[in-house]
Amino acid sequence: MATVRTSGNSAVMTEESAAAAELQRRMRQAARRRRWKANIPLMLLFIPGLLYYVLFKYVPMGGLIIAFKDYNFFDGVLDSPWVGMQNFETIFKQPQTLNIIRNTIVLSLLNVIVGFPFPILLAILLNEVRRTWYKRWIQTIVYLPHFFSWVIIGGFIFTLFATESGTINQLLKGWLAEPFPFLFNPGSWIAIYVGSGIWKEMGFSAIIYLAALTSIDPSLYESASLDGANKLQQIRHVTLPGISTTIVLLFILAMGRVMEVGFDHVYVLQNAVVSNVADVISTYMYRVGLQGAQFSLTTAMGLFESIVGLILVLSANALARRFDRGLW
Amino acid sequence: MRASLGEKWFYIINNIVLALLGLTCLFPLINTIAIAFSDTAAIEAGRVSFYPIGWNTEAFTSLFTGTPIIGAFRNSVVITVIGVVLSMAATIMTAYPISRRIFYGRRFFTLAMVFTIMFSGGLIPTYLVVKSLGLMNSYFALWLPALVSTYNMLVMRTFFENIPSEIDDASRIDGCSELAYLLRIVLPLSLPVIATLTLFYGVTYWNTFLPVLIYIQDTGRFNLTVLVQNMIQSQNLLQELVNSGVTSGVQANVVPESLKAAGVLVIVLPMLAVYPFLQKFFVKGVMLGSVKG
Repeated sequence: MATVRTSGNSAVMTEESAAAAELQRRMRQAARRRRWKANIPLMLLFIPGLLYYVLFKYVPMGGLIIAFKDYNFFDGVLDSPWVGMQNFETIFKQPQTLNIIRNTIVLSLLNVIVGFPFPILLAILLNEVRRTWYKRWIQTIVYLPHFFSWVIIGGFIFTLFATESGTINQLLKGWLAEPFPFLFNPGSWIAIYVGSGIWKEMGFSAIIYLAALTSIDPSLYESASLDGANKLQQIRHVTLPGISTTIVLLFILAMGRVMEVGFDHVYVLQNAVVSNVADVISTYMYRVGLQGAQFSLTTAMGLFESIVGLILVLSANALARRFDRGLW
Repeated sequence: MRASLGEKWFYIINNIVLALLGLTCLFPLINTIAIAFSDTAAIEAGRVSFYPIGWNTEAFTSLFTGTPIIGAFRNSVVITVIGVVLSMAATIMTAYPISRRIFYGRRFFTLAMVFTIMFSGGLIPTYLVVKSLGLMNSYFALWLPALVSTYNMLVMRTFFENIPSEIDDASRIDGCSELAYLLRIVLPLSLPVIATLTLFYGVTYWNTFLPVLIYIQDTGRFNLTVLVQNMIQSQNLLQELVNSGVTSGVQANVVPESLKAAGVLVIVLPMLAVYPFLQKFFVKGVMLGSVKG
């Protein structure tokens, strides 16, 4: 019956639908024009940001070509002669540069792996505090070091660990025949480097875990306690499983940052005696690249660092996706 | 529910462990304050730990008269205040367009910006760009290459995107333009994220170190971090300061340790002054950042 009626009125229908289509087309056009008009102020707003990203992010990426050149100030980035892979060959042949790459990897791995459990532990302990005011006080104090610059922390470390006048050596005076050169012994230097990283970021990194802990259902603790689980068993069987996805995700993301050894952290602690373990890519780029004007060689090193970093981040994200927690 | 005996012990031990952790976080600061105000003899004998022994402020007097630290303090304030204003303006102006669904190229621009987190030209190519723009020895070399932190920008974009679309629809019907919508509706609603990012940018500029080291050659334009770092590292400079008292006839009551401690405190104190007020903001800010982008 419906078909009959349609066929009967087909002439009217086509006319109507044509009008409707025309109207739709006009509306689409109007919408497009409206969108275009709304876009003009947005584009104007976007100009400074766009310029910034082009000038200070993408142009330097282009500047990486000097890794394959023999850069000199006179010819500039574009006209300096090409040398192919020569800079990379130099890097991977010299024992000194190989040592620096090794140091970068060792220090950052230690940072990531040794430092990783501390924020989790701190978050769990904080979560078990029953007095709110006490919890808030502790939180205020442990977040504080995050805001100190490495220069300040370097100052603290020299005050504490200096060989002659350091507070620790003064305290150990009775036990040690000679003051221990904490900052001039490779082993203790690495320990201080890793320890100061933990000290600075432990509290602030705990914030994310504290947020994850609030999502655990309190009734789980109640039933665990009714079943006779003591506090440690509750932490083991309720708390840890409750934040395990966050832990896995953050661990994967931390692995993506393995090639990043911050300049300031190493630079303020470094000294000539321990340079064998304490010289890393960023400090090498500053000292030999900028101060020694070895632009091409150190850019090649920086490019190597960036590429390894990119591969690590991409594979970390691919792994995180498996847990359905990828960042993109 | 009453705590059992075991639980009671658990809470006590937990509180003690946390108190010790808190003490570990504070001790270096307390120790530095104590040394900065202590008598030379007490410092050299290693008797200073938690509180000043023999009240003495001469370390600060020598620091203020013998080093350009007041100028460096002023430089740090200038770098921080102007830097925060520029960075916040640029961050808002970048984050707002890409938070709007109608913006052409939104996806492309977002991806292009996120990519710069993962891959960058690095120190030397950036240095060459700054140099070729003629920014050497100017504070613009500190502000411009660090204008927008992509991470902060994404936090802000996510915040903008989470403003309910009903507000947007309603303001459109009332004839609100894009710009008026940003200024009158989006920004007033975004005060928490604005406060957080202002704090983050502020701390970054106050602590800025490597850019000053490589772009600023004029020592009179150094900021606090670089000046104090030079002081800490150079025993000669400190010894000169200590000896300058001798030549003028009176031995100043200072040792290198107390000068270093005083220098560190000049950087820390402004931060300690604002820290308690800002704490509630940054905790929120970190939560915002953890929201998937």
